[in-house]
Parts: sequence; C-alpha cells; structure tokens
Amino acid sequence: MILTPESVTRIKDAAALYPQAKSAILPAITIAYRQVGHLNPDLYGEIAGILDIPAVEVAEAASFYTMFPKEPVGKYLIQVCHNISCALLGAEGLLSYLQDKLDIEVGETTSDNLFTLVRVECLGSCATAPMMQINHDYYENLSRAEVDRIIEKLTAEAQSGGTL
Amino acid sequence: MAEKTDKNTVVVEKTPTVTFTLDGREVTVPKGTTILLAAQSVGIDIPTLCWHPKLTIAGSCRMCYVEIEKWPKLAISCATEAMDGMVVYTDSDLVRKGRAAVIQFTLMNHPLDCPTCDKGGECTLQDLAFAYGVDNSEFDFGKHRFGATENDTTFDDVVVGPEIVLNRNRCIRCYRCIRANKEAFGEFDLGVFERGNHTEINVAPGRRLDNPFSGNLTEVCPVGALTHLDWRYKIRVWLTDTTSSICPFYSSGSNILLYTNQQQNKIYRATSRVNDDIDDGWLSDTTRFGYQVAMSPDRLKMPLIKKDGKQVEATWEEALKLIGKRLTEITEKKGRVCIGGLVASSQDNATLFSFSKLLRKVVGSNNIDFRTDYRMLPQTSGGAYDVLCSQPFSIVGINQSDVIVTLGSDLVKEHPNEYLRIRKAVNFGAVSVYAMNPYRTKSSDVAKKELVYQAGTEEILINSICLVAIEDGLIDSSLAGNLAECISPSTAAESAELCEVNLEDIRAIARALADGRQITFFAGEIVGRSINREAIAAALCNLHRLFGLSGRCQMNILPRHANSCGAVQLGLLPAPVLATKDMLSKLWGGWPESEPQTTDRMMANMKKDEIDGYMIVGANPIMLYPDREFATDALEGLDFLMVADLFETETTALADVVLPLASWAEYSGEYVNLEGRVQKTHQALKTDYDARPGYEIAALIAQQLEQPLFENDQTRDETITKVLAVDSTLPWPDEFLEVKHVADEVDEEYPLVLFVGDDSHHSGYLTEKSNSLTNFQAEPYVEISPTLAKRLGIDDGDSVRVESPVGKIVVPVRISHHINNDVVFVPMNFSGKQVNSLIMRKSRVDRVRISKVVD
Repeated sequence: MILTPESVTRIKDAAALYPQAKSAILPAITIAYRQVGHLNPDLYGEIAGILDIPAVEVAEAASFYTMFPKEPVGKYLIQVCHNISCALLGAEGLLSYLQDKLDIEVGETTSDNLFTLVRVECLGSCATAPMMQINHDYYENLSRAEVDRIIEKLTAEAQSGGTL
Repeated sequence: MAEKTDKNTVVVEKTPTVTFTLDGREVTVPKGTTILLAAQSVGIDIPTLCWHPKLTIAGSCRMCYVEIEKWPKLAISCATEAMDGMVVYTDSDLVRKGRAAVIQFTLMNHPLDCPTCDKGGECTLQDLAFAYGVDNSEFDFGKHRFGATENDTTFDDVVVGPEIVLNRNRCIRCYRCIRANKEAFGEFDLGVFERGNHTEINVAPGRRLDNPFSGNLTEVCPVGALTHLDWRYKIRVWLTDTTSSICPFYSSGSNILLYTNQQQNKIYRATSRVNDDIDDGWLSDTTRFGYQVAMSPDRLKMPLIKKDGKQVEATWEEALKLIGKRLTEITEKKGRVCIGGLVASSQDNATLFSFSKLLRKVVGSNNIDFRTDYRMLPQTSGGAYDVLCSQPFSIVGINQSDVIVTLGSDLVKEHPNEYLRIRKAVNFGAVSVYAMNPYRTKSSDVAKKELVYQAGTEEILINSICLVAIEDGLIDSSLAGNLAECISPSTAAESAELCEVNLEDIRAIARALADGRQITFFAGEIVGRSINREAIAAALCNLHRLFGLSGRCQMNILPRHANSCGAVQLGLLPAPVLATKDMLSKLWGGWPESEPQTTDRMMANMKKDEIDGYMIVGANPIMLYPDREFATDALEGLDFLMVADLFETETTALADVVLPLASWAEYSGEYVNLEGRVQKTHQALKTDYDARPGYEIAALIAQQLEQPLFENDQTRDETITKVLAVDSTLPWPDEFLEVKHVADEVDEEYPLVLFVGDDSHHSGYLTEKSNSLTNFQAEPYVEISPTLAKRLGIDDGDSVRVESPVGKIVVPVRISHHINNDVVFVPMNFSGKQVNSLIMRKSRVDRVRISKVVD
C-alpha cells in the first residue's frame, strides 16, 4: 500500500458522504495526490479497492483532470496560467522569466527536484492576473520582483526542511 | 399494451400513448418512445453513429438530428421523447445541413485513411460521409494525431488485447465500445482517458483487453478504431460472401454469419447475426473465433487403420470394409449387445439420428449415449434429473423474470449468452438475481447475492430453502405436506450449517421464490457433473412443488452443448423418455431388447469384456471423461474401436479405425438449442480433403452391414421432424421425494476441492485448434484465491504441483478474486496436461492438494 492508514480513513470518510461510493472518486484522488504528490496506476488500484469500484473508473477521472500530475514532480509545482486575462498582463513573459530563472523548460523539473514548471489553463482568478498556483496556494498580481521573492522564500524554506 | 401476469390471472394494462406527426405522417407510439425508435417503427431511417439498440443512450455523436416545429434548434432524435402534437421532420434542408456539419466535426481528427482501413466497405462513417457529400472538416489547424512517433500517423495501431487492435486516430468518441463493455459485458478493461481534443479510448492501466466478449467491440465500433487481428488486411469485405450459421459450441445456439470466399475456400471471420430471441447480437469470443477450428491445418485428412499395431493411412473403402468386417465378427461371435456408440451432442440432428438408428435398428443394441464427461449416470430414465432437463425454457424468459436463481453454474464459462441475458435483466429491469455456487464465480457481478456453499451439498442447500419457507410460514402450510419427513436434516439451521452458508441468505432466496411473479431458476454443469445429480434434482422437484412454482417459474438444468437438446429428443440416450421411445419403435418396427447402457456403464463393461466394439463420433473421452485411468483401461480393452473426429486426439490414438469427420462448417445441418428451437447451419466450406459428415459415415457403415439406413436424405429429415415433434416433457413428480444428507468423507491429506470446466475462452477439446482462442489462453492453469496463495507462499505464475490420490499435474498458478479459499479451478479443455487424471469416477467431491514446485 502506498496510501497511509490516515489517507485510507479519509477516503472512507469521504465515501460515506455519498449514496454511491463512485461519487467519492474526486475526493479520493485529491487525498491520494496530497499524500503522494502525484498520481499513478498503483494508486488508482488502491483507491478502487477502498471504494470497491473498477480501477478503470478512477483512472478515467484522474486522466480527465489536468491539475493532478501523473508523474513525480518537484517539491513545488508551479502552475502558471496563460489564459486571456493573464496573457494580456504578461503571462508568457512571466513564464519565460521563470524558465530562465530556474533554467528549465516548461514541463521540466529543476535538477535539485525543487521546482516543476507547467503552463495551465484558467485557474479562475482573472481579477488578480497574472497569477500562478504553487502546490495548493495562489500567488496573484505577479511581477518579476514578486516572482523572485517567492522563489527565494520557497528555496529557503526547502533548505530549512519546512513545508508549505 | 403491456401484459402483466399475476399468479393466476392475466391483467392487461393499457399503456398511455402519444400521437405526433413524423414527416407528414401521423404516428402513435407508447409514451416514452424516442423519436428515433418511433421513426424506425414506421420504416423511416435516421442515421446514427453513437446510438446502439442494445445500449443506453449517449447522445454524443449528434448524427440523428431532426427538426421539430417550434423548437429553437435541431434536436437529437435518439434522446428526445415523442410528445403529443409534435411535428417532426427527419429529412428537411435544415436537418441535412445540420447532419453535414456534424460529419465535419466528426472528421475533425479522423484520418480518412479508408484505403488502408479494414472497416472500409462496412463503415458507418464512410457511408454517412458519402451520403452527405462531406469529405473533410473546415478546421484549418492540423488534425490531432495519436501515435508512437510523429511519422506514425496512419498506422498508429496499438495491439490492446490478444485479438483487438486499437487505432485512436479513427475513433470518433461514440463510446459504444465503452458502453458495451461496461453495461452489456460488465467488463472494466477499457476506458476513456484525457479530455477534449485529446480524448482517447484505451485499455485500463496495466490491463489487456481480453474479456470473454472482447470480439464484440469490433462489431459495435462504427468506424475502424477497433478491429481484430484475425480479420485485418486479409480480405476486403466486399469480396466475401456470407453464410448463416449458428454457434457450434454452446447450447443457446447464438446466430452467426460466416464471411467466406468461395475461390479461396476459406472462412475469414464470424460475426453475429442478431437474433433478439437468442443472442441479442452479442457473441462470446469462443463462438466468434471458434470457426478457425474448421480450417486448422491439423485436420484429419484421410482415414487411418491400424496395421500391426500402427495406424497407417487408408482409403475410405478399406476403412469401411474393415469396420463392416469387425462389427459383423463381433456380432456373430458374441451377440449384438457387445457393440456400443458415443456420438457427441455437438453433432447435427442428421448425424445423431443416423447413429441412433444404426445402433438401435441395424446393430440392435441400446448401447448409445451422447454424454462424454458425466460420470456415474443413472441407467434408467425418467428420474428427477430427467424431469428437470425436459422442462421448457426460454432465453427471452430470463428477461421477463423478476427473480432469477442459478445453482451450480459457472455461468460465463458454461453459458456466456445466458450470463449476458441476466446482466441485461439486471441493467434494464427490476430483477433480483441469486447465484448459488460452490465457489465464487463472475455471477457475483450480477447477483444481488452469490451464495457460496460447501462443495457437494447442493441438495441440502435446496432442502434448507424449503425448510426455511415452512419454518417462517412463507408458503401456504397445506403445501408443506410430508416434506419434513422426506428430507434430512429436518431444520433449516442444521442444513445451512452443513452447507456452511448464512441462514439469512437462504431466507432471502426463500422469500424471493415465495413472492416472485415470474421466476427463472436453473442449474448448470456443477450439478450435471455431480454424481449426486439425481438427489439434487429431487430436492429441486420438492422445491418446485412446495413453493407452487408451476405456471410462474421456468426451472431447468441447462444442457451443455450445441445440440444436447436434439440428442435427448432424438433418443440418443440409452433409455429415451417413453414418448420418444414409442415413436421410434413405431418408426423402426420394434425396439432392441438389450439392457440400456450409458457411456459410463459401457466403459465399465468394456473392462469386463462385455462390450467389444465401440464407435465414437466427435468425442474425446480419454481427455474429458472424469477418470482418465478408467476411460483408458476401458477403451484399451476393446476388440474394436472406431473414432470419427476432426483431429487426431488421445482417443483416436487407441482406435483401430480413425475416420476424418467433416466439421459443422462443411455441411448444412440442423441443431436444437436449449429452448428446443430448431436452427439451421449452412455449408460455408468445401472439404478439400476426404472428410465426411457424421450422417454419411453412419449411412456408409449401415451399407457395409447390408442394411441401408434411409431411402434418401429427405425421408431421413422427415422422420427427424416427426421425432422432434414428440412432446418429451416429463411431468413433475406428484409427491415429495426423499432427499437425505449423506456425509462425504474428507481425506485430510487433500484439503482443497477441485473443480474443472472450460476456460472462459474455450469450450471442449476442439477450440485449442483456434489460433485466436489460444492467443487468449493456450495453457492450463490452476486458479486459486489470493488468501490460499498467500498461505502457501505462491505468486501468480509460479509452477505448482496439483495432486490427488490418483494423479498429479504441474501447472502455473493464476491468482483470482473469483474463487474462494479452499477451492481450486483447473480448465480441462487443454489436451496437454491430462487434467482428468486427477479425478476419480466415484468421488462426490474431487479433492486435491497443491504445492509449489521448487526447481
């Protein structure tokens, strides 16, 4: 089992909220993702076992939602929105700035395994564009200086062993 | 008008209807009918891609657009119910424009690689693009491509299962395959992944598309996205002819079409020939790919006769002369009763009837049977088991039931078609399904409850249902009569304990039987194979009587082979039912006086030298009789053995004369399915070597014995029709029958119960000759539960020794959730491993032990 007993309990609790166990697929994959940092077929199998549903249904749902990484990613998953509002306010420039700064291409992970950079569709925060999401938090009204500050903070945090 | 049958009265309820205008015609249909179905009912064709008559509605292709007056937009007719006063146009300019646009969307990513696509010529998308004059989409960005490499655009074929090839670029996301797989077959090896432009059908992570119904997916696919290896790039569909035929393996007789090419003298594939009364258009893979057996290069091509202990090739003339000579010698030397016959119930009516007449009329003995793999059969007929087997049964009746109960049947393996029927009943109706089995089977997917009982306690289990009904007052107490005295143990609790089942589960079944309006209750092979079959059948007769099931229940022990019913009705049993016997003795002017002997009894008598000559047609007792040693000793002890078969087998190896038998595809014949329905096959292949149908062999032997069987084929067929018309239904017993518990001895050295049967992709000893089917499964294995595997420290695929007191075999392990702890399953349809050497003829329950082979 990859899932911890605590995650299993949380998935079971989530399933209890619905008349059908199948309805708990999304909460379940969220719980698994938060524990592991990404999803994979082994996890789909474990979740299916807990919910007593076919594994393919878990895999289907997981594949539909792009916000769940399916491969291991860095400690910090930087998701930069590039849709209309963010694009108008310089999202692409921000992305290339991050690429240069972290010395990776979009879709790659830094060699110290700290940061993964991805381009995502609208995150529903157009009023605060340009913006990005790192793990479970939004960083809004971004500028290059702001990005510098955030990366610096996260690097320091990782070195001191803390978590977000 | 829907008919509701109460226990005694028929209430006719009027269903509300709606009337609307369809292309200027007034149409009245039951309320709730979709526009699409209403149109079909009056012969108006609306094009569809995602809609499928046997599946739930997806509404994903938009092809079935119709225009409805006063509606703001076109509507999809597959998902729109007809309403009173609606005015609908199915072929207006707007509709045609809408559909043309839909095709453009559909072609957005489609490669239009028709020249290299196997679906070409029978592709719905191709036909619709043709009909609407649309050949491409108007999008100016490139088509999204799935493929391993960038250049891999046309042939991005992914082999997703032993037979199925997936081409995602051709897929139009109609989800028919997904729906068929999940709804109709209950399989979860295929899924829809990603989204939007990137949506793809694919196998579930870590799985193969290898379920027992996988071949159907190539038929439901309206484009060339799912094709099968067996058919691909071999021939264009328009160069083939079709021949209608039926499934030669299972007893429901699914209707099939064989695609042939006469010049090549080849069958290229089999597809379904939808018959809603039988198969609903679904075929098991065994049925679909089984045709390859007929075309196997291993077929017997010439007669063989034994000379100086060795079989050598001979002409038919030599072989027949020898048969005639030896049969005459034996008859003269020892008397007529010394000759017997075994004719498999997969043979057609003409063959069965001809051999029946050959044995009874020409040879003059009652030593004839069609059962190869049943041990300890009763010598007499008309017992409880025969009563049950003779009861009427209808496949469609399964879908009209509100309660379905099965006993001792690994359904998917024995009756794949009926398994799908039950699934359908569960998906589309209010039905409670209860399965009772000695090990967990796939029936648990459809059953409200699969009750797993201790192997060999079937009759006590049925008793317990009766007892609980009496104890709880579920039935009219006057019906109970003296039942309690006839059965033991006499309380439900004691019986349930012996069967190791929960009394509450028994109670649920009893309640369902007491309340059911239309019940389907059938038993399967586990009952048929049991030496206790007569007691189990007696218990079932008691249950039928106690619950007053007459008129509201179809109860049966389902036959196993394509023509088992025909065999029974044509009198292939050593002691046919009285009505059949009377008819036959009238036709033949008498009846042999010899004692009727079953296969089983004949074999015992071969050892005693009381049967000296034996004729086998299309059967392989050495491989399939449940006691290999017994069968081998018996056949080796014969003076003369003739075997007619498609291939050389363990049994032909012992024969003095081996005759090449024509396969079902090589002549036209009739078969009787489990409902008693007579169905025809038509000749699809010419035998390009000298194999002959069974009926011809019978006639040739009769000629040798100087007693022609029939004037001509027509008189033979007329006689068959006459015999089939005899009502062979036996009356239910008019009293309760005695069913007492007999304790089984358990040898603690052999703690596991062994069940044998067919693999889910095979049926009998012939399907091993189909390449496609062996691609699914080629080797025997032993299926064990995860718990047992853990206890014995065995991993999936490990070699294990399976030992019984009389034999041992070494096979790989397959760990399965569909089996319980103390039971193991070994398929018997593979010739390599002599599985029946583990079995003793007289055991009620076969027991084994397994251990890991350390190399």
